[in-house]
Amino acid sequence: MLKQERTERRRAYIFLSIGLVFTLYPFALMIMSSLMTPSQLLNNPSMIIPMPITLSGYTGLFKDLNVLLLFKNTLIIAGSVTLLNLFFDSLAAFALAKLKFPGRNALFGFMLFTLMIPGVLFFIPEYTMLYNWGWVNHYRALIIPSFVQFYSIFLMKQFMEQIPDDVIEAARIDGASDPLIYARIILPMSIPILATIAIMTFMGAWNDFFGPLLYLRSPSLWTVQLGLQMFSSSIPGQNIQVLWAGEVVITLPILIVFLFLQKYFIQAFTNVSFK
Amino acid sequence: MRTLNKSKWGYIFVAPWIVGFAVFSVYPLWLGIKMSFMNYNLVAPQAMKFIGFGNWINSLEDISFWKSLLNILYNQAIFITLTFFIALLVAYLLFKISNGNRFWNAFFRSAYFVPTITSVVVVMLVLGNITAPYGPIQTLLVKWHILSVPIVWNLTPILIMPVIAVITSWMSFGMQAIILLGGLGTVPPEYTEAARIDGAKERTIFWKIIFPLLRPQIVFIMVMNAIGGLQMFTQVYVNFGTTGGPDQAGMTPVLYIYGEGLGKFQMGFASALGFVLSGIIIIATIITLKLLQEKS
Repeated sequence: MLKQERTERRRAYIFLSIGLVFTLYPFALMIMSSLMTPSQLLNNPSMIIPMPITLSGYTGLFKDLNVLLLFKNTLIIAGSVTLLNLFFDSLAAFALAKLKFPGRNALFGFMLFTLMIPGVLFFIPEYTMLYNWGWVNHYRALIIPSFVQFYSIFLMKQFMEQIPDDVIEAARIDGASDPLIYARIILPMSIPILATIAIMTFMGAWNDFFGPLLYLRSPSLWTVQLGLQMFSSSIPGQNIQVLWAGEVVITLPILIVFLFLQKYFIQAFTNVSFK
Repeated sequence: MRTLNKSKWGYIFVAPWIVGFAVFSVYPLWLGIKMSFMNYNLVAPQAMKFIGFGNWINSLEDISFWKSLLNILYNQAIFITLTFFIALLVAYLLFKISNGNRFWNAFFRSAYFVPTITSVVVVMLVLGNITAPYGPIQTLLVKWHILSVPIVWNLTPILIMPVIAVITSWMSFGMQAIILLGGLGTVPPEYTEAARIDGAKERTIFWKIIFPLLRPQIVFIMVMNAIGGLQMFTQVYVNFGTTGGPDQAGMTPVLYIYGEGLGKFQMGFASALGFVLSGIIIIATIITLKLLQEKS
């Protein structure tokens, strides 16, 4: 039996390695192309190793694309959204998981139901509303409406339910109030799920294109995704390597975070299901 | 009074969500209903006029809108099938190595997940290049005489949606595989062991025993497909802007609504379209749930 298991495992390794070529080739191409000159790119688009290597794509990022500004803008938006969500989501999750109050289950049921509402239902009216409020072309149009997200509350609640009630009861007997229990017990014990939510929220905001396209008009406010798309649709042919370098550079931060915290990333998706 | 005081913090802690939902969902919804009965131009609001069901009738009669819906169904039929079976295969393979070397286990899981963390804009640019007429794929196909001449897929109406489906599939299958892998981990080993001792083939064990137990994950994936897939926007916008490409073959419903709302500022009409599309998505979600959920 064990021998059969080992043969099967070896076969799985072989198939997975073959599949990896298809999965990772685009990344290899992206990195290699970003190190080529336009004529190298034109003559041999699938060439894997650039000879000689040129960094003009990367230096062009500062000249043609103003990449530092794009990074700063995206960091402000994605950072704010992430911090707000960590705070407000965890508060709600704590209440739903550990505090008893009339209407709690009904509220949670309703929240679950909202998960099924397609976002396009709010798209035009919300835009109209924020336009009339004068929020268009301000970061707040992308930050404030996403300050709390039910999906994150849901994942946090599932995690917090596993914190033993005894710990909370003991603190309560010692006279701790609910906010104190939240700050001193719940938050420290929820670090893994907070990390997961932080990564997911940050990644979502970093990779978002639709929101910035809707609300950010001035190029000085653009985010990395919007800036890159605008650049790609206006690009003069001779700077094509800058576009490739831009793709590498805006993917890299997420990739680095992912490689360090891949366990949390993957955890976030292993326990989801609809019964 | 006592219970209210005791449950005070519970209400305070969930209040932000309730306020957020009221301001950024319920109120817009109400606004949207009102607007859908108005002729409302965003940049000329003083000309706002009540027109009854005009926008609703126009949206039901709008040929471009229904064509965009057919486009996305064509796209999703390919996307959902392709992604699901690739994800199932990858999940199965990842499960097979999950008791092996821990490093390689983590390595393969991460490697297959990487496309999922890449942004749609970057994916469209990179894979757009790979699938371009003189990109690596078509160069090989021409060299192997599978294609006689390279094809410009984003100018060939019939090919636009399939190619976008394949590209989206590339960036989504890793996530679905990880979700299914979570399901495979919950299958009790005794079930498969017993079948194996009875002499059942590997394939039979998979389809007859393991696959049915993945139902919760499959329902989740398919519901997410129904909600998310029908709302595709960035993939087509990056390629075609608001035009929808040649013959509007790359037009999706959300792209169309975007064009009517933010291009022509017809907020009333765009709102009505949004309601129609949401209705269709909700019906698709309910059908998915009805078809896939266990009858109890």
